[in-house]
This record gives sequence, structure tokens and C-alpha cells, in this order.
Amino acid sequence: MVDMPHPSRRTVLGGTMAATAVVAGGSLLSSASSVPARQPGQKSMIGVPFEAVDTVRIGLIGLGNRGMGMLSGWTAVPGAAVTAVCDIRAPRAKTAADRVVAAGKPRPKEYGGSATSYQEMLRTEELDLVYVATPWEFHYEQGKAALLAGAHVGVELPVATGLDELWSLVDTSEQTRKHLWLMENCSYGRNELAMLKMAHEGVFGEVTNGHGGYLHDLRALLFSDTYYTDAWRRKWHTRSIASFYPMHGLAPIAAAMDINRGDRMLTLQATATAPRGLADYRERNVPRDHPSWQEEYINGDLVTCLIGTHQGRVIRAEHDVSSPRPYSRINSLAGSRGIMEDYVPVGGSSARVYVEPDHGGHSWRDFTPYRDEFDHWLWKTVGSQPNPGGHGGMDYILQWRVVQQMRAGLVPDIDVYDAAVWCAPVPLSVRSLNNGGRAVAVPDFTRGRWADLRPGLDSRQSEMPPVG
Amino acid sequence: MLRSAVALVAALLIATMLPAGSGSAAAAGAVEVTIAEVDLDGPHIATTTVTVTNNGSTRLTRLNVSFKGPVGWAVQPASQSWSKAVSPGASATLTFKIQVPAPRPGFRIRTFAATATYTGGDGAGTAVGTRTQYTGEALPNLAAAYNNVGVTDESATTAGDFDGEGNSFSAQKLAAVGVTPGGTVTALGVDFTWPDVAPGEEGNVAAGGQAVQLSGTGERLAFLGSGSSFGASGNVTVHYTDGTSSTGFFGFPNWSFQEPGTHGATLVASSDGRNRPDGYGNAGIAYRVFAHQVDIDPSKTVAFVVLPSSPSLHIFDMKLAD
Ligand SMILES: NC(=O)c1ccc[n+]([C@@H]2O[C@H](COP(=O)([O-])OP(=O)(O)OC[C@H]3O[C@@H](n4cnc5c(N)ncnc54)[C@H](O)[C@@H]3O)[C@@H](O)[C@H]2O)c1
Repeated sequence: MVDMPHPSRRTVLGGTMAATAVVAGGSLLSSASSVPARQPGQKSMIGVPFEAVDTVRIGLIGLGNRGMGMLSGWTAVPGAAVTAVCDIRAPRAKTAADRVVAAGKPRPKEYGGSATSYQEMLRTEELDLVYVATPWEFHYEQGKAALLAGAHVGVELPVATGLDELWSLVDTSEQTRKHLWLMENCSYGRNELAMLKMAHEGVFGEVTNGHGGYLHDLRALLFSDTYYTDAWRRKWHTRSIASFYPMHGLAPIAAAMDINRGDRMLTLQATATAPRGLADYRERNVPRDHPSWQEEYINGDLVTCLIGTHQGRVIRAEHDVSSPRPYSRINSLAGSRGIMEDYVPVGGSSARVYVEPDHGGHSWRDFTPYRDEFDHWLWKTVGSQPNPGGHGGMDYILQWRVVQQMRAGLVPDIDVYDAAVWCAPVPLSVRSLNNGGRAVAVPDFTRGRWADLRPGLDSRQSEMPPVG
Repeated sequence: MLRSAVALVAALLIATMLPAGSGSAAAAGAVEVTIAEVDLDGPHIATTTVTVTNNGSTRLTRLNVSFKGPVGWAVQPASQSWSKAVSPGASATLTFKIQVPAPRPGFRIRTFAATATYTGGDGAGTAVGTRTQYTGEALPNLAAAYNNVGVTDESATTAGDFDGEGNSFSAQKLAAVGVTPGGTVTALGVDFTWPDVAPGEEGNVAAGGQAVQLSGTGERLAFLGSGSSFGASGNVTVHYTDGTSSTGFFGFPNWSFQEPGTHGATLVASSDGRNRPDGYGNAGIAYRVFAHQVDIDPSKTVAFVVLPSSPSLHIFDMKLAD
């Protein structure tokens, strides 16, 4: 068994960040909003296209549930070539390489065996894209190292867990002129993209509020000895009180509100319930000699962030993985002319809607006609073909789109500024909770460019460049 | 592929470059605000310009222009200032960005408005310019907009749903007070035509902002209809062939249980009882039809009408009248 490196003190949330002073007499903790100066020559990555490449050479770091799951998509996208695979556990790299060969593609180079194997991969290989799917505590260092090695980087959620780390990724992206983004697959969900397009059309009127989150009963997986490697995800619940992973629901709402593209998050206030779910589950389901009995779970079951924006909107972002409940990312958006709510079945669809002037009488309607009318081109084209991706097809759409943008030399839909602000609730929830739930300032990672209207996920249709 | 201006009907082409809106019809000597055409072929970030022309006799200073698109469309900036003075006869041109969504099927009216505030110039202190662009086609007539079954036969009531609860007017009881399919109903000095559809078929419009072609001139636009809530009212916008428009407010009382003069409406006919999903019932209670009207500009020719956005407001007919 390979020894996992211990997370550094920096990844223990609430450490250095929590010590920041409260503004005397004020109700807003503002020091988080201070914008570090750029290095000489460092410039924004907003609107910067990828340099077009014919083949996207991809290196994967982390080949567990997610990395291995995404491998088939990376192997299948036209014009993508998985040329290197890395896991601290060398046998996983071998399994991954075997799968690439089984898919009829050239064998990628294998890296593994130590916590620093990925560095060797980055030193040795010429990669256009590095995909990081390791546990959260490694994302920052691996993402930054990949940028410094000259690759563009797609990082699983979250890209980093500290504010200083988020700034460091922004700065490193700007300095290396390489993109780093969050591999936020749910932003490509069918309902989420339709919701975004409806918002842009004005179907909801002036959007005033939205709610999203990650409400997923992970208790069985968290206590499984085989699912999360070394139970890394459960251990986070012993370390900190934080909204660890709200991004799947937060990002689509942020997109529909044009955060970083006309609006910006200004303040965040967090609440956390008592931690009850994991201990209660363990009591009922886990043998007394299991190592988890040495642990104390401190994270609240439901951690809620209320985020205020410059345009006067409010976002509620929730995180709960330790309570019994059916899955939901909430996906609710509302404005002066109506509302949609996902995960609330009406008629044949999984969502419901009520918008003026189409509807009246105070009764919900089926979302399906709107989903169909506002279906994103990626779903009408890529999404309508059989594909190897998980999560109903949105994983593959994300991968296809990343490769397409890199091959065609397009501007990425999601950039380092989106990644940073979507992940900022992780450290900011800690800061707010450490200060009695008071509002903390959300940094402007764009350094003043947030007001610029610019395209994002609501993209124009374009083709995948032909292969060969 | 969608163009920024589309034919309403083969015979009636409304160009994109309409002078658009009341604010742009500048009087001689007045400060004029015009908005350049907006490329509506989204999704994209479009750029447009607002030109403020000083037709006044003195220098125009401290100019600020605010800009708005259709509801929910982001614009950047929301307002901006012009630092220089604008001499008489000269103009200032300011640039705005607009987040234009993908073209939406159906007839769409996209209105942009710019408001200039200033000192000097014509001395008015404020001037407004609007630009209206259309995509798609307006419905050819009111019948094409029928979307609600408001009348059923007493022997087959289940198709009816005037009020969202499965109730409807009784065809027999309406006939008893002279309201029959294709028949004339006179009110407010207007000869309305009752929808010529069989009971149980869609025969009225639950108003949802539909654009309906209507050709002609008149002093007023009159409506025959009824309400299925206590708030069946809203603004109707009458668009003229010269690209300008006017707006009027009207409403109908609830078909039952509301003062007949509510919203200023006029009672036209009262039928006895109503059809419910389980058959005729509520005898002794009146279910009513009303008329109402809005003033329009008699000097202009009407091109189309955009109905209110108020689905409990049901329209059986509309007519231009002197
Ligand atoms: N976007 C999604 O829908 C989605 C779904 C599942 C997981 N995830 C994310 O993917 C990431 C991984 O989650 P998982 O469920 O696959 O966990 P996992 O434990 O199954 O996999 C993690 C892998 O990383 C490897 N690893 C650890 N340290 C490493 C190092 N220093 N170098 C190389 N490899 C190392 C482990 O050996 C393991 O194979 C997490 O960030 C998780 O949140 C995202």
C-alpha cells in the first residue's frame, strides 16, 4: 500500500485564512477582497483564445473513480490523444494505459509509484492538456505545476481550497499564458444550459435570485473502504467546517447571472448545521473496529452560503453529503417574470417552471417545452449521439467542448476567473463561519474586468475541426 | 437563418430601420436620440451606437445617456457620460454592448431605449429615443391565436377550461341571450363577431402577449371578452405601419362575482349558470361577457397589436372603431 502524503497545513481549511481580522465596527469582513498586484508583464487571460493544435495531447493525473471514468471520454473525443497517465498507485496507471490500448489507441506513457510521479510526467512529456482528478488536497499544487510545465489544465472540483491558492492559480495562468479551468461538468447539464439560455432571452425577466448546490447522500461511499482512496473525502469532514463542494449547483446559477461577465459576487454569508449525519450513520452501519471510529466529524451536514452580487441578486448555495435524501443540485432561477426549479418533477420532466406571460393561475408547469425550445446546440449535436460519458452525457459534452476549443483555437467557455470565484465559497464559508456567519467580501479575481459582457457557456454553434 | 427584420406578411414588410417609437419623432429644433440597428443574430455580444443630435440653438453639455434593452438582456454600460460639449447641429455618438440571445421562434419585438439627460441644447433637459426591431411573423388574425376552450355544449362539457378549473360558458345559455357562433354582438357602438367555432373547440385568446395583425385606422380599439380571475387586465400595444406604437390599459371583470364595471368594462351579456366538468350547473348565477376599449392614434394605420400579458384575460373579438 502506498503511503498517501498528509495534506499540508495550508489545505486544512480555516488555518491561516481564519485568522484574518474583522473590520472594526463593520459588518463585512473585507480583507478577503484585497486584490494582489500583478507582476510586471502579467496580463489578463480574459478572452484569450487557445493556440489551435491539431491533436490535443492529454496527460491524466489521478486515476480513481473520476479519472478512470473520464478516461474513456478523453480517448473517444475526435482529435484527442491520451499520451500519459499518472497515479500514485502505479497499477492504476497500467490499468488506464491498457484501457486506452483496448480502445484502439496508442499506449500512453505510464507514471506512478510516488507522490511526485506527476512531476516526472510533467517534466518528461509534452502535453497540451493536463486533467487533474486526484483528491482535493492535491489539486492546487498539481494544477499550478501543470501550468508551469506549459500545459493548459482542467482540474476537478475544487481547483483549490484556499483564497491565496486561488489567487496563485489566477496569477500563474496569467503569467504562463495558459488556461486553467474547473472541470465543472454540471455547467453543461441539459437543464442547466437551457436555464442559462432562458435567462439570456429574458424569460425570467430581470433575474433576481438563484439557488444551487450539491445535495448528495454520500454516506455509504464515505464509509466504504474501497471507494474513495484512503477515505480521503471522509477525512475532510474531520478537518473543517466548510462548504467543500457546492460548485456543481453554484456554477450554473453563476453562469445564468453572468458572474464575471457583467455581474460579480460581492459578499458571502455562511451557516452550518450541527454535524449529525456521519456519526449517526456510523453508529448504525459501521463495525466498531473500523478505523472511522477514531474520527470526529465536525463539518455541518448542511452548509449554506448566501452570496450577494453587485446587481443586487442573491444566490443560495448548499452543500450536504451526509444526510439521507435523494440527489439534487437544486438549479432554481427566478426573476421579475418567473421561476424554474429543477429536481421537482411535473408532468414528464424533472423540472417545473412558471413564467409570465405564458403561465398564470399560480400552478407549476412542465419544464420540457422550455428545455426543448432552449436546448443548447451542444445537446442537439454532441449530446444526441451515443457517447461514453457519464452523468447523462454532460461529462462527454464537457470533454468534447474542451478539445474542440483547443483544436479550433477558441476562447474557453470557463476560465481561471470562473474557476476561482466558483471555488471561493470553500475558504470564504470558513471565514464567515469563524466569524459568526457574518458577510465576507468575495474577491474580484478578474481585477476589475467583471463588468465586461463577454460570451461564455451560451456559445454559438461551431464545428469540431476535421481530424487528420 | 434569421434576419433582423422579417416580413409580417408578404404584403406588409416592416424594415429594421424604423424610426421607432414615440421618442424618436423629434420636433424641429429638438434634441434627437437615435439608436443604430442591433444585430439580433445571437447568441453574441452585439455593439450598437446611440447618437444624440443637438438640433437646439445652444451648446449641449453635461450629456449622460442611459441605455436599456429588452427585459433580462444585459447591456454595458447601463449609462455613460459624454465629457465634451455638443454644438448646435452637431451630434455625439456613444457605444453600448448588448448581450443578444439566440433567435427565438415566433414573432418577437425587441425594443431598445436610450434616455439622454443634458443641459442646454433645446432646453428640455431630457430626450428619449427608442428602436424597435422585429423578428418572426405576427399571427395573421385573432382566430390564429385562439388557445382556450371557453364555451361547451351542455351535453359535452369536459373539453371546457375557461377558468383553469375545467369550467366554461354554456353554448345553450349564451344562445339564449343572443350570443351564437359567428353571430354579431353589439357593444360600445361596435359590431363584434362572436367566434365562429363549435362548442368545445378553442375559441378565445387567453392573452399572453401574442402579436396579432390588424389592419386599418380608427380612434379606438375595442375588445369583447371576459375574465377568469380578479386581475384580468393589462396593457395592449398597438403598432402602426410607421413603426411607432401606442399603449392602452384595459381589463375585464371576472366572468362571475365581480362588479361589472371593474377595470372600466361594460357588461354585454349574462348567461345563466355554467358548464362544469360534470355537466351544467350553477344555475341562477350569471356568467358574463364584457366589452372594453382603448384609444389609439387616429392619424396612423395600425399594423399589428400585441395583446396584454395576462392569461386570465380572455378575448373573443377585437375591432378597430371610430
Ligand atoms: N465532476 C464530477 O462529477 C466528479 C465526480 C466524482 C469525483 N470528482 C472529483 O474527482 C476527484 C477525484 O475523486 P475520486 O472519486 O476519483 O477519488 P478517488 O479516490 O477514487 O481517486 C483519486 C485518485 O488519485 C490518486 N492520487 C492521490 N494522490 C495522488 C498523487 N499525488 N499523484 C497521482 N495520483 C494521486 C489516488 O491513488 C486515486 O487513484 C475529486 O476532486 C472529486 O471531487 C468529480
